[in-house]
Amino acid sequence: MNSLTAEDFKERSPLYAKHKGACLAPLAETVAVERFSETDEHSQLARCALVDLTNLARVGFRGTDSAEFLLSKGYHLPETPNHATLQDDGSMVARLSQTEYLLLGSLRDAGTRVSDLEAHWQLSEQANYLLPRQDSHAWLLLTGEHCAAVMAKLCGVDLRDGNFTQGAVAQTSAARINVIVINTHTTALPSFHILCDRASVSYFWDAVLDAMLEFGGKPAGIQALLD
Amino acid sequence: MSSSNRLPAPMGLLIDRDQALSFQFDGQSFSALGGDSIASALIANGRWLMSRSFKYHRPRGPLTLAGQDANTLVQLPSEPNVLADVTSVEAGMQVSAQNVSGSLDNDRDAYLGKFSKFMPVGFYYRSFYKPKGMWKVWEPIIRKKAGLGVLDLKFQPEYYDKQFLFVDLAVVGAGPAGLQAALTAANAGAKVLLVEEQSILGGSLTYARFDAEGVRADNLRQELIAAVEGHCNIQTLKRATCNAWFTDNYLPVIQGKRLYKVRAKQCLVASGSFDQPVIFRNNDLPGVMLTSAAQRLMKLYAVKPGKRAVVLTGNDDGYLAALDLHEQGVEVAALVDMRAQPADPQLLTLLQTCGITCHLSTTVFEALHEKGMRHVSGVDLRKITGQGQVASDSLTLGCDLLCMSGGYMPVYQLLCQAGGKLAYDDQLAEFTLSGLPEILRVSGSANGCHALDNVLADATNCALDIIAALGLNSDLGRAKVKPEAQVNFPWPIFAHPKGKDFVDFDEDLQVRDIINATKIGYRDVQLVKRFSTVGMGPSQGRHSALPTARLVAQSTQRNISETGVTTARPPFVAEKLAHVAGRGFDPYRQTPMHGRHLAAGAKMMPAGVWQRPAFYGNDTDREQCMQAEALNVHNKVGLIDVSTLGGLDVRGPDAAEFLNRIYTFAFLKQPVGRSRYALMTNEHGVVIDDGVCARFADNHFYVTATTSGVDRIYQQMLKWNAQWRLNVDVTNVTAALAAVNLAGPLSRKVLQKLCTDVDLSPEGFPYLGVRTGTVAGIPARLMRVGFVGELGFEIHVPARYGEYLWDVLMEAGEVEGIRPFGVETQRLLRLEKGHVIISQDTDGMTTPGEIDMTWAISRTKPFFVGKRSVEILEQQPQKRKLVGFTLEKGSRQPLEGHLVLDGSDISGNVSSCEYSETLGQIIGLAYAGANQGIPGSHLPIRVEGGEMVHATVVELPFFDPANQRQEL
Repeated sequence: MNSLTAEDFKERSPLYAKHKGACLAPLAETVAVERFSETDEHSQLARCALVDLTNLARVGFRGTDSAEFLLSKGYHLPETPNHATLQDDGSMVARLSQTEYLLLGSLRDAGTRVSDLEAHWQLSEQANYLLPRQDSHAWLLLTGEHCAAVMAKLCGVDLRDGNFTQGAVAQTSAARINVIVINTHTTALPSFHILCDRASVSYFWDAVLDAMLEFGGKPAGIQALLD
Repeated sequence: MSSSNRLPAPMGLLIDRDQALSFQFDGQSFSALGGDSIASALIANGRWLMSRSFKYHRPRGPLTLAGQDANTLVQLPSEPNVLADVTSVEAGMQVSAQNVSGSLDNDRDAYLGKFSKFMPVGFYYRSFYKPKGMWKVWEPIIRKKAGLGVLDLKFQPEYYDKQFLFVDLAVVGAGPAGLQAALTAANAGAKVLLVEEQSILGGSLTYARFDAEGVRADNLRQELIAAVEGHCNIQTLKRATCNAWFTDNYLPVIQGKRLYKVRAKQCLVASGSFDQPVIFRNNDLPGVMLTSAAQRLMKLYAVKPGKRAVVLTGNDDGYLAALDLHEQGVEVAALVDMRAQPADPQLLTLLQTCGITCHLSTTVFEALHEKGMRHVSGVDLRKITGQGQVASDSLTLGCDLLCMSGGYMPVYQLLCQAGGKLAYDDQLAEFTLSGLPEILRVSGSANGCHALDNVLADATNCALDIIAALGLNSDLGRAKVKPEAQVNFPWPIFAHPKGKDFVDFDEDLQVRDIINATKIGYRDVQLVKRFSTVGMGPSQGRHSALPTARLVAQSTQRNISETGVTTARPPFVAEKLAHVAGRGFDPYRQTPMHGRHLAAGAKMMPAGVWQRPAFYGNDTDREQCMQAEALNVHNKVGLIDVSTLGGLDVRGPDAAEFLNRIYTFAFLKQPVGRSRYALMTNEHGVVIDDGVCARFADNHFYVTATTSGVDRIYQQMLKWNAQWRLNVDVTNVTAALAAVNLAGPLSRKVLQKLCTDVDLSPEGFPYLGVRTGTVAGIPARLMRVGFVGELGFEIHVPARYGEYLWDVLMEAGEVEGIRPFGVETQRLLRLEKGHVIISQDTDGMTTPGEIDMTWAISRTKPFFVGKRSVEILEQQPQKRKLVGFTLEKGSRQPLEGHLVLDGSDISGNVSSCEYSETLGQIIGLAYAGANQGIPGSHLPIRVEGGEMVHATVVELPFFDPANQRQEL
């Protein structure tokens, strides 16, 4: 275990107090949980795990000029709302409405492509308004074969494989708070990205872990995702 | 009965003969086998008496062995009303009888049955209210007698939860029809959920006999179960009950401590049918049971139900059951068939070959018993001479088991909840169902198919319809349903002159009770139910609905279809509140600085869904903590977390125009770098929110809203913008921004240590100015505000930095004596300044004029939401007004909500009131009559205990009227 602590950094996940004992790793200007234990977390990810990605960059854009803006920055955009497209660098663009997009950074570059985009955006005459998704929303990753079963204990939308296909986005309610669920199943690892109100994530984290319990679910770090 | 009454395999599908258990019933120890129900174990031990009836305390034993009657309700230490016939016995289980006076074996209230003539149905409606005042005498006696079981008030809540299940097809009931349909649909690719109430699949195949040889049921069961349990498209839930049908196939299914909320594209109810009792005198004695119950005892639990049996039947199934009994070593003293002959004459021959005497056109007129009525001891057989009529000649037979089956009633509850209509087929003497929604189907015996081949054919056909509805394909052709023998005897009711011929076992209702209800004038079956309570007991009419319909029809000279049955509402079986409550989801929100507040010893309080510090210190030291925190803000510097304050970014070319229409003030010409108070009214001119509009650019306003109101205001803004179609984007950034108010005369000094890229001087950053810059390297929005009446800076930063901001400000202000202050302190400080809090000092009727906010209304702009109403209201005489008042220190302090009086009339109420150490007075805001607002006048307030205090009306604000402190 290294000696990094979340309080060494200005940017802090609202969940850091719940990650006591975890091994932290630098992530751009902040830290993320590398792993929760010395044991291999790959099998945990495959079974049922919850990863806090709140410190990974993300940003939103909304407006009639947003698509043009993002295309000019080299992003591939989903053709229809409620779909997400994986980018070549591992980041992702989810289209939440006709004119709204959510960009999720990649662990591969510690989210710097997305955070740079946010940092350099300026309010202008263009109808392209930045939405501070990194600060408005927390970001969790639910992984493993029981993803849909766990969500069925929290959410009234059918997120089973087949109904909620790869790249699908559900803007719905889980455990009585608003969430955005993105099915990424980009590899053999089934996984849902879940974005929820940042101020409610402490509550939501516990609710998801509780739902995961019967499947042997536990929190996991980002190391196993990167391997 | 000893353990020798256990039958050899293959009897006992549910039991594990290698697992011996012991448990207690009413203080006595009994042995059991793994898989036994409480009731089967007791019967295996020769214990039939398990309960006393509700009204007459008659001895009762199991009737259905399927959890469909109230005869086996028992008490567990922490749970009353447990069905002993379906509850598995556990080692060391402590079971006791309930609703007994004295003991189960010697119930002191058993004499009540002798007075049944004096307690006709509905007698309590008429008997206990006269003479006037008698109800008070009777009430405690009746209450003591009423109710079943005892609640354990020390019971600790257990973990229950809920889960959604999404399927193509939900099949309710895993009997032959359910299994066949599930398999057919699953083979075509449908995802199927199979819900079975029992712990084993197979339904009637597990206990009933469908052929003379007695082999078909078991073979078919094993074949179907093997196919179903190995099928990847079928999920089975055993010991699960579908407790209702709601629109669009929303099905609550209870299994254990979980409530599944099933969403099914298609639903098939293959719930089977309830074996129906025959009504004769003493048909409730222990040892008198449904034929299917005796078969369940043998086949599921390997318990020999008796030594000498009589089987009373109205269909061929009774013959097959007699064969079952005979094969298991029970002497069948007689097969009593109410019909003139069986549908299959070979059965008659077969029974006679077995030495079983068959009595045709005969019924049991009375079940006989020995003293104490603890078990049936014989039957009085009579020839049937007409509908419900018997001959006077009697034949008495001894027996210790009487099996009865008058026919079947479809398990119609879910189907009727879905709008299904029951119609009575006079020829078949049974109810049929129609009018189901397209997404709901019925098959098997619930659909009137009783012959096994027909059940399978009907299920296949239903499945094919479902497959087509799901857009799937199947190569199967439709199966043919053949005509079959009638299973219901048209009139299995034989009223006895001495009564005790029970129609409803739960409520001790006899034939004459139902007849009398109709004679009194309750002709409608719904009224009969309410008057007599028939069908209102735990078994919810499963066995009483059909005979009641028949009796009411006969008594009112109508047919049974016209009479119908009573409404079957959810739930199908009793469900626990814990299932409904399930795992509680009570969301809460925390600011990024939450951990710091806890570490500082904050007393937290709810603010909507937010958790906020009320003050810092012990709960018991509220006043002391608040006053100290307030004085620190007045004299030094304080820091409050205001992250919960609503925040809305309004951006775009029409941002100013948009706000100009939303709020009462004018915003078109608001300079960049300035904020302006913003008051919002609704279409009725009522004040609904307030905040500050800070202009950071020509096309960017940052608008604050009240903590509890922001979500509603955001929705209002989106709604209005959808109508106005202005070129503007509205974003709710409440959670995205952490915010603090650094307030007090030393606040500038503290901030200057951390913020070097903004001119913080009074000239460079005046009161109501707004700036962007950095604080400790964090990008920040800075606003000069005066809510608490002192020099103050609101600092809004991205939420990710919130805790760090708090840390650096506390550290930077250490020398200046900084300390955090909470919401309660903030409320005191703003009260000193006379600032209102919307929703605390306003209500659903408050107009701007009543709270002296007319200065916040632009008179020159053409429109704002509520403008017309505000103008109309201003033309009306004002009836009330929010005024400031003071009371001397030490006076009785009014609380929020205490009434303001004008003579004997109520003229208003206190909305805010606190003691101010700074002012040395109690200060408050209250609504008062329009004539009571003159400064210096006395305001009568009624406080706790009805005491009156007379406050003095004063001008607002209470503190620093020249606003010199906040504008430093």
